[in-house]
Amino acid sequence: MIEFLTAWLGSLPGFMTPLLLASLGLLFCERAGVLNLGVEGVMALGAMTGAVVVLAGFGTWIALAAATLAAIAVSIPFMLAVIVFRAPQIPAGLALVAIGLGLSEALGRDAAHKPFSGLQALPWPDALVELPLVGRMLFEQDAIVILALVLAVIAARGLFQTPQGLRLRAVGEDPATADAAGVDVQLYQIVAVVIGSALIGLAGAYLSVGGSQIWTEGMVAGRGWISLALVVFAQWMPIRAILGAILFGGAEALIPRLQALGLEVPVYFLSMTPYLLTIGVLLILSLGTRTAQSEPGFLGRAYIRQDR
Amino acid sequence: MLERITLERRADASALRSAATYGVALVVAVALSLGVIIWAGVPTGALFEELIVQVFLTPAGLARTLTQATPMMFAALAAALCLRLKFWNIGIEGQLLMGAILATTVALYDIGGPIRLPLMLAASALGGTLWIAVPALLRLRFGVSEVIVTLLLSNVAFLFLQHLLFGPFGDTSHNFPTSPVFDEMEKLFRFGFGDTHAGLILALSAVLAIAVLVHRTRFGFAARFAGDNPRAADALGFETRRVMLISILLGGAMAGLAGGVIVSGTEHRLTQAVGLNMTFNGIVIAALAGNLPLMIPVVSFFIAGLSVASASLKVFYGVSEGIVLIIQGIILLTLVTFQFAATYRVTIRGPEAA
Repeated sequence: MIEFLTAWLGSLPGFMTPLLLASLGLLFCERAGVLNLGVEGVMALGAMTGAVVVLAGFGTWIALAAATLAAIAVSIPFMLAVIVFRAPQIPAGLALVAIGLGLSEALGRDAAHKPFSGLQALPWPDALVELPLVGRMLFEQDAIVILALVLAVIAARGLFQTPQGLRLRAVGEDPATADAAGVDVQLYQIVAVVIGSALIGLAGAYLSVGGSQIWTEGMVAGRGWISLALVVFAQWMPIRAILGAILFGGAEALIPRLQALGLEVPVYFLSMTPYLLTIGVLLILSLGTRTAQSEPGFLGRAYIRQDR
Repeated sequence: MLERITLERRADASALRSAATYGVALVVAVALSLGVIIWAGVPTGALFEELIVQVFLTPAGLARTLTQATPMMFAALAAALCLRLKFWNIGIEGQLLMGAILATTVALYDIGGPIRLPLMLAASALGGTLWIAVPALLRLRFGVSEVIVTLLLSNVAFLFLQHLLFGPFGDTSHNFPTSPVFDEMEKLFRFGFGDTHAGLILALSAVLAIAVLVHRTRFGFAARFAGDNPRAADALGFETRRVMLISILLGGAMAGLAGGVIVSGTEHRLTQAVGLNMTFNGIVIAALAGNLPLMIPVVSFFIAGLSVASASLKVFYGVSEGIVLIIQGIILLTLVTFQFAATYRVTIRGPEAA
């Protein structure tokens, strides 16, 4: 039992990290009023780019940087469409999914199914790693796991304790008032989506460069969609996103561990649990009144000054 | 930034302006798509042959295009019925898979005797309806966003499909995850023109029926109100929620039928690929058709042609199947971006006014 728990807890951060990074990215977009449904496609592009760059012989850090840049680049048409041209955000986001998935398939064909050596665990002393229960969870992790947690704290501080964060939230909540107060609504939205896309790209790259150390088509496997739900679960709060990512990642991490035990588990039904859990959580949240209050007031809508 | 540019919503865009916007968007989308195909390695000289002649003008190509267009019409109806009501059905694949699964269940367990084939189609419609009922009720009763729920349920349906194909529905005579091939009485009639089958007639009938419903009945009138302005519809005494629920369930039924005609008409068995990309196909076709039912067959025909062309481009020029997704994304993004020209009026003030 201890062995099982140690292994499960040890694998948890690897499952948590991409969800946390992606939902932080989405959180930035949504706090500025932009619903970025493109996350699944942008993550795929990040995962592919990271793998291709590592396979080309560059280091893992360059690969992660390249993936964030690729994610920002592919989001530029989306930003133009929804921020400058006020296009409806849901179809524009879906188009971004298609473009991201398509590009990752088309550009990554030669890199698929080739294992490589990616991110390595930080070199803590063996004595710490071998601690029961928490040893592997705390000390057999790579730097991105820690970076993701630090970023969540920075995001919380940035959004809630800086004037820029206040303005960004104002843009998503009530752009007319923000505009009247002299905040450049479009500029803040662009900055939010750029930061968001970078984090989403990093989340994708972590899947290939960090977790699997291989790239295959379809490896994002719905994690982008789950991140969208996770943001609602987190009530658009970065610190709660950590809790959400641990919960959702923990459920996901349980499946391979149960299989490793040799249990005859209904794999496909177990794989459904994160999705069903998400729907259940959304339902429970909707029964309270809090969701309506925490959701950025202008999320998904186009602001023009005439409406002020 | 851009302080001198003011946007105003147009009170009502003229039909001419809307049509011109659509036309320009289409030209730009096609140009960008051709650019992508050329970038992917298809020589310009071969474009006309591959994209027009081989998919629309040769009998074999035309048959393949019509076969692919058949479920696409159903998927597009599913998208259009929901999108008209601003209900974002992003789980067409899930509803389609549940339809295919229920139809296959009827076939594999030999249910229904002489009426088995119609029963399979009815079951597929039921499967799609049940699968969309969950997000519809969650949205209409509890205000849960349908965007996320339809998506997540799509993934659940795909996992359920895999469970069935690797388990109870699996064909034990080989190692591939498919169901056994259906009996003759469980297959839709084939016209003898390639794989084209009676599903095509069903799809066109569904298009006509939905067109009549949307444009010629009181219900359709109410549904249009419910989508554009729920409060106005309420004030007029329409039961908005009920109208919305029925339209959405009908959309689910259409998606389910897409699955039904794929298994009973094209594949003759259940496979993992029956729903592939059908959510995007449905939404892109509905968007290109402006959610007008009668435009759906025309647009489906061309999108199916693109999909057929991509299969041969893959074989002859090694072009990745990903380009179909890229092109669909470009078309959708271009269309919604150009809506700007029909929705807003741009005025640029002189520097002294800024």
